[in-house]
Amino acid sequence: MPAHRPSLAMILLVQFVSFGAFAVAWAVSRPEAKALVEKELWQSDPYPHVVVPREKPLVIEPLYDRPDLMSDEDLAAVLKQVQPRFPRQSLKPNHVEHALRTWGVGATFQDPAVLSGQELTEFLTDHGKFINSWGKRIAPLLQDLPTGVSIRFDRTEGGSIHHDHWLASLTEAGVTLKTPVYSPGRKNATIHTVLDQALRDFRLDERETEWTALAFGLWIAPQKQWVGGDGRQYSFDLLSKRLRRGQKELGVCSGTHRVYSLMALIRLDKEFDVLSDAEYKNAWGYLESVRDRITDSQFPDGHWPSNWPEGKSAVEKPVVDEFKSIVIATGHHLEWLSIAPKELHPPEETIQRAMQWMIKTTKDQPQQTILDNYTFFSHIGKAAAMWRQTSPEAFWEAWEKEHPFVPSETPGVAPAITPAGSSEIH
Amino acid sequence: MLPKRNIAGSRYALVSGWLFMSTLIPPPSEAVVSEPFFEHRDPDLSVLQDRIPPQYQLTRRAVVLVALLGLLFTISSYQPLWHSDLWGHLSYGRWIWAAKAVPRVEPLMPLAQGVPFVDTAWLSQLIGFQLVTHTGVAGAQFMYAGLISLAFALVVGVVYKRTGSLVASLAAFLTFGWGAYQQLLVVRPQLAGLACFALVIVVATASVGRRWHWWVIPVTFALWANLHGSFLMGLGLLGLMAIGRLFDVIWRTGRVAASLRDSEFRRLALLTQIAAAAVLLNPYGIGIYGEVFAVASNPNLEDLFEWLPLSLRMSQGQAAAAITIGLFLLYRMSPRRVQCGEVLSLIGFGLATLWTSRLINFWAPLAAYYVGMHLAAIRWQNFGRPVEERRSSGLNTVVACGLTWIYFAFTPFGVTLLHGQPKDAKIAARRYQKAVSPLTPLGTTAHLNELAPVGQVFNTYEWGDYLTWAGPKEMREGKQVFVNSHAHLVPREVWQDYLLISSASGGWEQKLDQYSINTVVVDLAQRGSLIKALKLKKDAWELSYEDGVGAVFRRIKPL
Repeated sequence: MPAHRPSLAMILLVQFVSFGAFAVAWAVSRPEAKALVEKELWQSDPYPHVVVPREKPLVIEPLYDRPDLMSDEDLAAVLKQVQPRFPRQSLKPNHVEHALRTWGVGATFQDPAVLSGQELTEFLTDHGKFINSWGKRIAPLLQDLPTGVSIRFDRTEGGSIHHDHWLASLTEAGVTLKTPVYSPGRKNATIHTVLDQALRDFRLDERETEWTALAFGLWIAPQKQWVGGDGRQYSFDLLSKRLRRGQKELGVCSGTHRVYSLMALIRLDKEFDVLSDAEYKNAWGYLESVRDRITDSQFPDGHWPSNWPEGKSAVEKPVVDEFKSIVIATGHHLEWLSIAPKELHPPEETIQRAMQWMIKTTKDQPQQTILDNYTFFSHIGKAAAMWRQTSPEAFWEAWEKEHPFVPSETPGVAPAITPAGSSEIH
Repeated sequence: MLPKRNIAGSRYALVSGWLFMSTLIPPPSEAVVSEPFFEHRDPDLSVLQDRIPPQYQLTRRAVVLVALLGLLFTISSYQPLWHSDLWGHLSYGRWIWAAKAVPRVEPLMPLAQGVPFVDTAWLSQLIGFQLVTHTGVAGAQFMYAGLISLAFALVVGVVYKRTGSLVASLAAFLTFGWGAYQQLLVVRPQLAGLACFALVIVVATASVGRRWHWWVIPVTFALWANLHGSFLMGLGLLGLMAIGRLFDVIWRTGRVAASLRDSEFRRLALLTQIAAAAVLLNPYGIGIYGEVFAVASNPNLEDLFEWLPLSLRMSQGQAAAAITIGLFLLYRMSPRRVQCGEVLSLIGFGLATLWTSRLINFWAPLAAYYVGMHLAAIRWQNFGRPVEERRSSGLNTVVACGLTWIYFAFTPFGVTLLHGQPKDAKIAARRYQKAVSPLTPLGTTAHLNELAPVGQVFNTYEWGDYLTWAGPKEMREGKQVFVNSHAHLVPREVWQDYLLISSASGGWEQKLDQYSINTVVVDLAQRGSLIKALKLKKDAWELSYEDGVGAVFRRIKPL
């Protein structure tokens, strides 16, 4: 067969066909295919931003008002103990986050030693305030990225400790989407910027997902699924599966945080149908098993041990728990139970015992012990208010109207630096 | 061509037993003769006329090559099927067949749920699944041997066709085999890519364009893009050859305009464009281009031996070094003009092996081709052209066809086609056992089928594929396997945890707890330390099964 010399017409035809083929292929390709090409060949950022459908986050309302379990006086006493009476210097973000999620952004106190909700919020969202507290010797809490602002979460000084805890705490505290965030290099960022970055950065198998599930659920529901920065299709189903994965005791705070997050997802599902039927059933089943374990593992005085997932054997063969461990287990369980339907409750007397232990233990602690273990006691404060179907912020405001602050009642001045042996990790 | 002879006077026709061969039948008017009809004469073979068209007639040297390739085919057919990738691909083929669609997200690893999946090998997987479903493992063996033989036949065949030298062709055969040997052990869609690449070598290195190039290239690339993601290698080769031709003409003429008018440059450049467009004919469209780059840069693959850069510590690295030295010597002695395209492609693909050793698969046939071409040129210079090159005959073609048939009939696939699959279960099981690699977890899988695990299983990477293919229902449905050989689809965090657990590094037990693992399926060959560690944890894990290949452990108190 003779050699073939491509003519000009043929060259033009090939140009037309090949360029046309690429144009058509681009036009008809799925968004994920285009994103892949943009990312790999053009090194661009194809991340499809998630639309946040609200300006204020959803709130998961507590279901019970039980003055028989928690009187006004008891609640006031517990809340007084967990007021954010922190020193202004070297404020720990983890403590501030816990205080904020407990008290809310609008919390005010007549006692000037107590940080208001606004002060707590500003410390977390304004790099200037952070520097005022820490100076410039440590890395910023708010970190500028080309794509947004992220939060430094590590166990070094001034870090947020847990991934997305900053975001979840501000979300639970009632911050708005447009609340400004002043990072070291940005003056136009908002909570939305941080949320967007969190959605982009999220990886299902990272160390912990408890707060991510909560924050995403409260902001983006009813959207069930979204695409992350890694191109993976995420969903609340996947988050729920991830929360259920692993031995029950594993996870933050003896595995109690994931119980709370799962419960929150189930509550969200009731309203927004964010879970598939199958996953809803699985999550419900998981919580039923938690209910059964805590029914069996409660000690006679009302507290739960850290190894609560072991059920009866946790009582029969008790482990040596630190004080903080039983505060964690008991406070956290009472917290999720306050938003759980009755079918997921242990018997009434179990809740009564736990509540009595919680009130007594909190009231009995000296202020220094509370401050040393603030993160754990803050959950007790939140749980106490939720069992009265209120928030600490609303209750305390009303309480202080009738019981004005008297300076002599101040529990004492907190030390500038938390003593050695206290627990930062929560 | 045999000389035509006058056959008048022949009393009868001699009918040859060979296909395609016959005598000329005398015209009826000449059939009536006075000689006795029964008079016997020795058949005059000189009256035989070769009816096989000249272009299909082969030389004896070609028959030797056919015999060699047939031998390669037969030996490859008996090569035990590798215990990893193949079974995963068959599993994906099964999934595609059941879903009647290609996957968009990973469907067979629960821990990779939602991870986007551009299945560049979907057609290979589907064909493989159908072949194995209908012909058993013999089908997979046939597929394996057929693709390897096809790739060798194309490279060796083109060297022979262009040089007529048996020695050069044999040198190409050996170079190809030595360079790519390790990569050829594993049965996977990459072999289809290799066969396509060999065809592109034929086209890209042709000194003169042919009309058939214009349809073979788009068809090949359209097919290749659905068979395996290595189509980029073919595009690279065509592109490098086009650029090389451009430089060649500029070098010779000193004018850029002349090079742009050059018919060879135009041919190669246009073929590259057409090939690039043909690739778009796949279910993922333009996304397939992004995918091949994404896979190549996936960090998980850096932990796998076969994806490491080529080095002299590897036997294939030593082979590549030896071949490279051989090429240097040949280039030093060869009178053949060295084209820029061949230098660019040899260096380009050679450098690519320093990115990942898997790409030696594509450098080796290219090197083999040039070894053959230059060796032939050196021989021509020293000994003259082969004298036998014009002595082709149909008889040789018939011998080649006969040999091909014999080789085929002796393969497991040939036996299956001719005699059907064995009806005796014991014989079938014995054949199956012989057909698969000794490292295949046959006993382990049988044990798991007897006592199905509950929930997430931890398995070693090499066995994930087979467990998905032959394991219990939940595994086959993609609900239990921890990882399989599609490591690039495993989320990074899961992959790192996998490495930690499989090497029994610090915290491995806690990781098993975190993933709710109640069953561990582990191979002895590479994960002996994990088996040892699990055996020491008698209070938490019990040995459920063990053989010379691996072990199964189950948690005493399931999570």
